Order: sequence, then C-alpha cells, then structure tokens
Amino acid sequence: MNISDDELLALVGRALRTTEPVPDRVVTGARAAWTWRTIDEELAELVFDSAQELTGVRSEDTARQLTFRAPGVEIEVMVVDDGARRIVGQLIPPGNYTVRLAVGDEVLDQQCDRLGRFTFEPVPLGPVRISILGADGGHVVSTEWVLL
Amino acid sequence: MEAQELLRRVIDGDERAWGEVVDRFAGLVWSVARSYRLSSAATEDVVQTVWLRLAEHAARIRQPERLASWLATTTRNESLRVIRGNNRLTPQASVDEYAEPTTPSIEERVTDDVTLQAVLAAFVQLSSDDQQLMRLLCAVPPLDYETISELIGRPIGSIGPTRARCLERLRKLLPPGLDPKAGLP
Repeated sequence: MNISDDELLALVGRALRTTEPVPDRVVTGARAAWTWRTIDEELAELVFDSAQELTGVRSEDTARQLTFRAPGVEIEVMVVDDGARRIVGQLIPPGNYTVRLAVGDEVLDQQCDRLGRFTFEPVPLGPVRISILGADGGHVVSTEWVLL
Repeated sequence: MEAQELLRRVIDGDERAWGEVVDRFAGLVWSVARSYRLSSAATEDVVQTVWLRLAEHAARIRQPERLASWLATTTRNESLRVIRGNNRLTPQASVDEYAEPTTPSIEERVTDDVTLQAVLAAFVQLSSDDQQLMRLLCAVPPLDYETISELIGRPIGSIGPTRARCLERLRKLLPPGLDPKAGLP
C-alpha cells in the first residue's frame, strides 16, 4: 500500500520542521522587532536599490546604491565593502542634522557635514535603518529597514 | 482569532497580539526564507528584516486578511534582494545544480525517526526548484496557490500539476510502505 500525495507532503513538512526548526534566537528577534517601531515618524521609502535592478550585469566591484525618499528630504546611501563595510551617504537637501544608524542592537549617531554627507564604519551585518534627527534631537524621518 | 483581528490589535499597540502574530507565522516566514537557500546568517537577517518591516508597516497592509501572503511575499523580495545585491549568498551555480543539499542551518537537528530520515534523504535529491516548491507547500499556516504562484513566478494553474509531479519524483526515491503517521506525536 502506498501513501497519498497529501500524506507524503505532510511527511516532508514534519521532516523539515523536525530537522530545521525555527531557531529560538530568530523568534526572540521577531518578538523584539516590536520595540523598534516608530509610530509617529515620517517613513522614508526605498525608491531605488541597485540590488533590485534586474537589467544589466552587475559588476562585482560596483557599490550597492540606495535612495530613500520622504517629503522634503532624500537620503542617498552607498555601501562600500573593501574589508570593513562602510556606509557613505548624503542628505538632500543638507541641514543641521544628526544621522542615526540602527543595526542589530547598536545605535550609532553622527553629525552630517555641511554638504549633508555622513559615513559609518565599520557597519556590522544585519537589517539597517537610518534616521535623521533635527537640531533639537527630535526625529525628522526614518528609513524603512533594509539589508545592506 | 483571525489574522485580520490580530493585526488590528497590533496596529492598536497591543504587544501581546504581536507575540501571537510571531508565534503563528514564524514558521511560515522561516520556511519561505529557507526555500531560497541563503547562508544561515543571511536567512536569519532576511527573516529579521521581514519582522521589522511588519512591525513598522502593520498599519499599511492593504489586505489584512492576507497577512500570510504579505509575509511570504516580503520574505521572497528580501531574499531576492540578498541574492542580487549581497555576496553572502550561496553561489548561483550551486542553486541551480542538481541535488545540491540545502545549506545546513546551525540549528539543524537529526531525527531518529527512520521514516523522516528516508523522506529527508529523498528530498535533498530533488532539484532545487522541486525542493523550493515542497517547502512552500509545507508552510504552516499553509500558503494559498495564488501566493505560491507569485512567489515562484509560475501560473497558478500549474501549481497543482507540478505538485503532483514533484511528489511523484519524491515517491520514486522512497522505499514503498512508508508510515504516513511518522513524526506525529
């Protein structure tokens, strides 16, 4: 007697769940994602990502480029990986802002220069979010979470 | 509680509802992410990005009743982004190679159930496309064919027949007389 398709698929499901369970730290991380919510902040949306462009052949040494946009401000970001990962960016238009990088459990602050430029280095792996804070310390805008 | 109602509570700031959403859908997000054969570190990063996105975007999900589908699609998009933009991926060549076993996860455990062992041994001999379809079809809670069709970029009408052919290939790799109750508590 042979087993049915549904039974076989159920066996595959059980085999995979038994041998590749969701790691505990993944569930813990998912629960903790709640604490990173930014309820009332303006969200800068990802409007360009070189990693999402399907056309053309990517050259190995081309840096990843992303653009986030919110009303009134644009955040241009480039990821350079030459040993230590570095995030180089620019705010358009520039202003007297603190740029905050959240990655993993870390939060790094930096004042952007007169031209709105900023650099973070080294940047650990993991989902990243960039926020812009005004001179009074208040949030102006945050990007969505992205993997760089 | 319906996913829709859970999501509404999440939007209202109910942290317990968030915990329930995570408990209910963690396995689904994990299955979809694993189906892209990224390294375990990249898989975990993708999954975490998806949850951060949901926490941030819960209020913007247009069809709350399709939360499972939103999670699966977001996981797909983030996985593809890693594959296209990141160098931490399994090289594309091996993704398409026949019988390349899925990158083992650090968490990977063995099972002492001989039937499940046999099923796994057969599973890893399937092509990567077959393995991916199996993983998506096994997700809990289940994904509808419409979502699976979007994820793998094939017509919805082809999912059923492909599922049947894929299971047939798997069956050929298995000894007869498998116990369908294997692994059940």
